[in-house]
Amino acid sequence: MALALEMKGITKYFSSTDVQANDNVNLTVEAGEVLALVGENGAGKTTLMNILYGLIKPDSGEIFINGEKVQIGHPDDAIKNGIGMVHQHFKLVPSFTVAQNIILGMEPNKAGFLSPKEENKVVKELADKFNLPVDPKAQIRDLPVGMQQRVEILKVLLREAKILILDEPTAVLTPQEVKELMDVVRQLAKMGYSVIFITHKLIEVMEVADKVSVMRAGKNVGNKKVSDTNIPDLARMMVGREVLLRVKKDTIQRGKPVFEAKDVSVSDVHGLAAISHVSFNVHEGEIVGLAGVSGNGQTELVEVISGMRPLDGGNLYLNEQDITQANVRDRRNAGVAHIPEDRMEVGLNLQTNLDENLIISRYNQSEFSKFGFLLGKSISRFAETVVKSFSIAAAKPGEDISMLSGGNLQKVVVGRELSGQPSFIIANQPTRGLDVGSIEFVHKTLIEERDRGAGVLLVSVELEEIMALADRILVLFRGQIQGELDAKTATEEEVGILMAGGKLSDLQTNQAKSGKESK
Amino acid sequence: MKNKKLQKILDAILIPVLAILSGLVLMGIMIALTGKPVWESYGVLFSKAFGCEKASNCAIVTTLERATPIILTGLSAVVAFRSGLFSIGQEGQYLMASIAAGWLGYNIHLPNGVHQSVILVACMAVGAAYGFIPGVLKVKLGVNELLSTIVLNSIATLIIEYMVQFPMRADVSTTAHSPIIDETAQLPIFMPGSKWGVGFIIAVVAVILVFIYLWKTKSGYEQRMAGQSKRFALYGGVPSDKAAIRAMIISGALAGLAGAVEVMGVHRRIMTGFSTGLGFDGVTAAILGQTHPFGVFIVAILFAGLKLGAQLGLQLKLGIPRELGATIIGFIILFVAASKFYEGAIDSVRSWFTKSKKVKAKGGGD
Ligand SMILES: Nc1ncnc2c1ncn2[C@@H]1O[C@H](COP(=O)(O)OP(=O)(O)O)[C@@H](O)[C@H]1O
Ligand SMILES: [Mg+2]
Repeated sequence: MALALEMKGITKYFSSTDVQANDNVNLTVEAGEVLALVGENGAGKTTLMNILYGLIKPDSGEIFINGEKVQIGHPDDAIKNGIGMVHQHFKLVPSFTVAQNIILGMEPNKAGFLSPKEENKVVKELADKFNLPVDPKAQIRDLPVGMQQRVEILKVLLREAKILILDEPTAVLTPQEVKELMDVVRQLAKMGYSVIFITHKLIEVMEVADKVSVMRAGKNVGNKKVSDTNIPDLARMMVGREVLLRVKKDTIQRGKPVFEAKDVSVSDVHGLAAISHVSFNVHEGEIVGLAGVSGNGQTELVEVISGMRPLDGGNLYLNEQDITQANVRDRRNAGVAHIPEDRMEVGLNLQTNLDENLIISRYNQSEFSKFGFLLGKSISRFAETVVKSFSIAAAKPGEDISMLSGGNLQKVVVGRELSGQPSFIIANQPTRGLDVGSIEFVHKTLIEERDRGAGVLLVSVELEEIMALADRILVLFRGQIQGELDAKTATEEEVGILMAGGKLSDLQTNQAKSGKESK
Repeated sequence: MKNKKLQKILDAILIPVLAILSGLVLMGIMIALTGKPVWESYGVLFSKAFGCEKASNCAIVTTLERATPIILTGLSAVVAFRSGLFSIGQEGQYLMASIAAGWLGYNIHLPNGVHQSVILVACMAVGAAYGFIPGVLKVKLGVNELLSTIVLNSIATLIIEYMVQFPMRADVSTTAHSPIIDETAQLPIFMPGSKWGVGFIIAVVAVILVFIYLWKTKSGYEQRMAGQSKRFALYGGVPSDKAAIRAMIISGALAGLAGAVEVMGVHRRIMTGFSTGLGFDGVTAAILGQTHPFGVFIVAILFAGLKLGAQLGLQLKLGIPRELGATIIGFIILFVAASKFYEGAIDSVRSWFTKSKKVKAKGGGD
């Protein structure tokens, strides 16, 4: 049987960024097969799929559908050939309904739109056929991300795609939504569809895919059956070297408290209580992991500690100095570093170059400005040092950063924040959206900082990350600290119970019960 | 490294250049539709804007004279825009400073050199004060600067008209104007027969100073960072509110300087109908000039030339209404706004270019 899709020798060079994004890439998919396409950020996955979907013209290469060579110069050609793509960033109209979005551009004739009733019926039938329930009348902007993604998938299915491209579909989903999506993908495969599933989370590859293609720096470095490979193997192919999926950490003696929050209360943007009466401290040489499901007050708490948001009550201390009223600059000068959860909007200014990004918290220091003038030479020297010591190969002093991959952008943030020996580091979701290689880098760096004697507050919704790094675990639930655990003895189960708002005693009684039952 | 910089500069001017070319092509089509000679029109437009008929009578000199206030109001807009403030208050600041220049020009009497300096400084102060108002309103009360500057512009237009008609009116017979300013208050002129003079030098110096200020000083850095990303500035500890107010003060001072130069160097008094939209021309020059001081400098000159050519060339020589000049400028703005239109073309040209370069480099290496 002919392959559903074959891409041969695809090559694409971007002159504007001087990147060989695809270098002689080959890829095959059969009907009814899920192919995972993995690779670090910037490996060229999206470029390859954009070529397949007719959004980018390759420099060379051929595409075959069901064994026949096709020319795809435009998404219309791709759709005609049964290829559909759900982009990393959705392309829905927020003020339209689900049905309107799905039908958009396919109205039966130019003059007449479908009546809303007919539209809803078409969508309803479609949704039933694929067992993907949606409310056709709901407005997109009212829907959670997972549901919006479902609408995108239905949109593609209505256009009779046989090959579905999902570009990093899980990056924006909650764990529950990820599970649902996986089921949908498996079901589509069973119905004979081919799915190309882009991700850099290797666990997902093992769960959902039949076959996996690994890309690195534009090259196709491996094609394997999922049953013939494993996560460490894939990680090695992706990164091109041995990767520690769980970094090594020695036990060290912690020092005196470096940061303390006393009875802190904060409201969110709507004036509702986001954090109420929270107290905790962080010692020198200690990583305190703040676990919790996202939206339980993490964002507000971090903004208050860093000085970006005023608090309603309570006090903050840094090295025994009261910093409750200090502004961001004073706190930073006093030794606070902050890796924010949103590196694109908060942590970096993508409209300017590397140097200006690196000095945002220190341009006032005499090393970087005198008599009101910026000292360009010392600034670029500093940029060179950061680039070298944090091996941010892709970033160059004086040049724009907007084209850097997520991993490299985060390296820029981490490099800036951890240069200059801060005494207290706030790391909020420091590895969100990063690939294994970059995660390893960030984890290693945070542990090095702890070993140097810094206090680290690690805020993360990834339980795995908390368990790997923290010395002490605090669990945040509905703006309060639900419990504290020693990381040496804590189990994932215990943290999970606290994250869900339960108490440790519940767990014990549960265990006692199940113990009895098993007897 | 050098190459990259050059590439960046080329990128920046490519779109305005293409837009201007498209605008000119469109002008040709419109002239053809009216049945006038197309090629001759182009010729006349350019010679009346940039040409030299006689050594003593160069159109370019007049163009530079007309460009001077546009350069300054353009710089004013650049400072505001780069700081994230969409202030279009240049016209109002310019008018208020013009009143100050006109008044100080005949009401105080100081030695040559001192008199002009005093007026220049005073005009900058008046412009700055008129820019400070929307700045403070924005920072303290969250009033949108676009709206407040529109209102302040109208107020300034009314004030200058009142001043010319009543308190500062020179005589009642002719059209209303204020008395001619003292000779000690006038800016020297380079060539008799035109008004091109020291004002232009002031504008050139301002271009350089604004560039240095925005990109080489701490304050300029703060303003640009706060302008590009409020969240980033907050995160890094940049005092954004101070930066915004400072931006409005500097922006106002530059527009005020334009008023001083116009009154002291060109009109030597203020008169009824003094507001001719030089402030808005500055906004346009800033947008076309990629909100960069050097871009503003070039665009302001092109702009002034186009207007002059349309007025002296098209209207007087060929009988084509000079409003066509304004229409072309309108089209050019439209083309810049639609710059996406060119991006595809630019990209393919460039990739063809680099590819051929690459091939050559490879060939040489083998
Ligand atoms: N339109 C573009 N212009 C220039 N460079 C691009 C463009 N799109 C992607 N790139 C570059 O190509 C490389 C591959 O990017 P991409 O395909 O998005 O990677 P991935 O999806 O694997 O993260 C990156 O280095 C990126 O900077
Ligand atoms: Mg991608």
